[in-house]
Amino acid sequence: MKRLLLQLAAISSLLLLMAAAGRGSSRPRYGGTVRVLLHDKVTTIDPLNEEDHPASRDRLAALSFETLTEVDALGHVHPKLASSWHSDQAKRVWQFRLRLANFHNGTLLTASDVVASLGKSNSGWKYTVNDRQTLTIETPFAITHMPELLALPKYAIVKRLPDSNAGTGPYRLTEWQAGERALFAVNEDYWGGRAYPDAIEFQMGASLRDQLLERQLGKHAAAEVSIDQLRTLEQANQNIVLSRPADLMVVLFLQPDSVGKPGRKPVDARVREALANTINRTAISNGLLQRRGVPASGLLPQWLTGYEFMFPGNSNLDRARELRADAAAFVVITPIALAYDLSDPLAKLVAERIAVDASAAGIAVQPYGELHINSKTARASLNADAVLLRLPLQSVEPSVALSAVADDLGFSDSAPTIFVPAILGATRQEDLFEVERKTLAGYRVIPVAHLPQALWLSGSIHNWQQLMTGAWQLDQLWIEGAR
Amino acid sequence: MLYSAFPHMLKTASKLYFCAILPFILLAGSAAQQDTQPPLASAANDFVQQILSRSGSPSAIAVTFQNISALAPDAVESLQNLIFTAFRNSGIRLVKAEQALAEVQITFSEDWQGYVWVASVKQGSASQLVIRKVARPQRTTSSRAPTLTIHKATVWQQDGPILDFFQDKQNLVVLEPGQLSLYVNDSGQWRPRQTLGVTHQNEWPRDLRGRLQVNGGQINVFLPGARCSGNISPPSLECRTSDDPWPADQGSLIAFFSPRRNFFTGLLAGQTAGASVPPFFSGATWQSNDVRHWLFAGIDGRVRVFQNDLATAPTTLTDFGGLLAAIRSGCGSGWQVLASAPTDSTHPDSIQAVEIAGREALPASSQVDLSGSVEALWTSGKESQSVNGVLQSQATGKYEAFTLTVSCNQ
Repeated sequence: MKRLLLQLAAISSLLLLMAAAGRGSSRPRYGGTVRVLLHDKVTTIDPLNEEDHPASRDRLAALSFETLTEVDALGHVHPKLASSWHSDQAKRVWQFRLRLANFHNGTLLTASDVVASLGKSNSGWKYTVNDRQTLTIETPFAITHMPELLALPKYAIVKRLPDSNAGTGPYRLTEWQAGERALFAVNEDYWGGRAYPDAIEFQMGASLRDQLLERQLGKHAAAEVSIDQLRTLEQANQNIVLSRPADLMVVLFLQPDSVGKPGRKPVDARVREALANTINRTAISNGLLQRRGVPASGLLPQWLTGYEFMFPGNSNLDRARELRADAAAFVVITPIALAYDLSDPLAKLVAERIAVDASAAGIAVQPYGELHINSKTARASLNADAVLLRLPLQSVEPSVALSAVADDLGFSDSAPTIFVPAILGATRQEDLFEVERKTLAGYRVIPVAHLPQALWLSGSIHNWQQLMTGAWQLDQLWIEGAR
Repeated sequence: MLYSAFPHMLKTASKLYFCAILPFILLAGSAAQQDTQPPLASAANDFVQQILSRSGSPSAIAVTFQNISALAPDAVESLQNLIFTAFRNSGIRLVKAEQALAEVQITFSEDWQGYVWVASVKQGSASQLVIRKVARPQRTTSSRAPTLTIHKATVWQQDGPILDFFQDKQNLVVLEPGQLSLYVNDSGQWRPRQTLGVTHQNEWPRDLRGRLQVNGGQINVFLPGARCSGNISPPSLECRTSDDPWPADQGSLIAFFSPRRNFFTGLLAGQTAGASVPPFFSGATWQSNDVRHWLFAGIDGRVRVFQNDLATAPTTLTDFGGLLAAIRSGCGSGWQVLASAPTDSTHPDSIQAVEIAGREALPASSQVDLSGSVEALWTSGKESQSVNGVLQSQATGKYEAFTLTVSCNQ
């Protein structure tokens, strides 16, 4: 009996070993081209240019342009182009020392380059070049987590040349067809050692469904997947990687209470609050988002802060009707025009569901698709009352993440002296909670859901790291079958 | 605040940090076991003091609890009792809501890093919030009973990368990308003794690998395109640009390593000088029953097994990871190979002993699951009776140097 058990154990172990056959070694291999399908059409990779799909732009840009610091999958900050740093006690004066690195055009990275680049990212800070490798940043208020802040894509170091932009990253852009295709070739002289693949190629605006139908997925290593495609892929035992529910789906009212656009009045605050009370977030998360998303009541997700539950997010139709009736006694309530991203089928479904929920309280919401809603410039020209946005979570450091959300929503532009110092200078979680509470209090922003980002990966790709935020870390990427 | 790219400068700080969070790890762990250790009481007491300081220490309060974290009900009850005790010890009367000067709603919540205790304090129309983070306990894993048992012993942990290490009773030498760190045994604890810089001309390649050998106090370091030599006592190290071949095992297998990549080129030196095999990540050789075996984990994912002659066609196996090391156990045929799993750094790794029998590789032990990816695996010990390994923990990001030995199950 014992012998039989031993034999069975040996066979099962062998089967386990064989099941992994063909996946090859764990040691990274050099060579090959990694082909990736991107859902969005990216028109620029300059981190400071406005772009309809900034999260996708940042994914491409990160291959070429690097930040001074980086935050790893565990939330730890690490040196990148900066080799070390320190600050004064007040966290207002920060000194950074640069590592030795070259731009793709062969020139040495200097403190002057960094100051020129950061000056465009944030003109409100004072920069001093101390020597060739050292610089000082002085901020008008304390920034508790400056290293984490500088890891944001907008602070990537770009040498802006008359005919092109140069970065220091592990890949350089060699072929570019805006909105169509991008080819990044490996930087052989990268300061961190040559990356493993020879190249990474992105095909943009591609539908995974089309590729599956055309049976062309075989040549691809990775593809962005929308939530409605997950079930099919999972049933086919495909390799799907999901981030935490990090993206924020949010209704943003475009007109401030004080000044409306000509021909458009701001939506009354009571009507906005009424709308917030109508949205059945649980139904949206469980139904439309197939339980992959979670209801949102705050700007930052519960898994990041642990305090989102403190914000009310349950629907309350009685309260909504009360508020609507109260508003109707003073103002004429007109239908709310709600714009959503035309290229996002999920946004359409959610917007329509919001309209259905609102109608139960007698509030008319008219959803319609727009091609460009994500950039601030595009939103300024919209004729909508509100937009349904999907905002990526940009950091796992709550203060940095909240500042980025406030920036995306345009709050840091409208009240920069209130929001930005309060968020970035926060030393306690209670301070961040308070900023978030105040931001939500006026109902100009109505959180709806937190969504994950999903990715299909072929069996040949290794070390593709999707961070909790959904961002990609392709630092150690390698592909099977390459030499 | 100070941060440096050079991890050795952070060791002290990180150890202090670990000491600082250790009580919370313990307290959270003990909470799960309903074991009321003093640190848990201390955390509860701090939390209560924060609540009182924000609320002006009202003499009578009403406290309610809710749990939206993964804490078990018994752990929640234990925590509640500690918080009640902390209030009482502060001279606060716990009363019903109708009689209270302040109402405190305490929620045991959590974020991705640990537990979050949130207290909402209401006094009339005013409300205050107190938030306290408490680290989550680390989970431990158990392994199955093996047929041949692999024993893993942790030698050293640190924040920065470890390429290879050496230890004897008195010395621990850790090879890192930029330095060699020497530690001395001080009553069972490794105490830092000296740090020796590793200089090099060219940028290191990705997935940097290195080999450290210490014989009779003499140090030899092999790195891509560089070689260093020196002594433990007095500590010294000199590095130079070099394409010298590396020892791929304990001395029988010597091979050239690519100066800009992470693999051996396939060109062998030493006793087999002139012979070549396809490029490989790791290799092993041993003599057993008058047969010499060579194993090479190729960069194409195949393991090639040669017997007696490197010129003849090898047997090819495809079910190994890129790292393998021979170990002399005395069990079975006397030699086994410890091999990593065919996974990558996004998944935890495992190690399994296999026995080479003819053209087959037979499992000789259960898999030992590890907490991260194996970064190095080298045969060690004078008689090749152990294997030195390095892994990077997926949970903490820290690097761990460990040794593996095997014992026979009779």
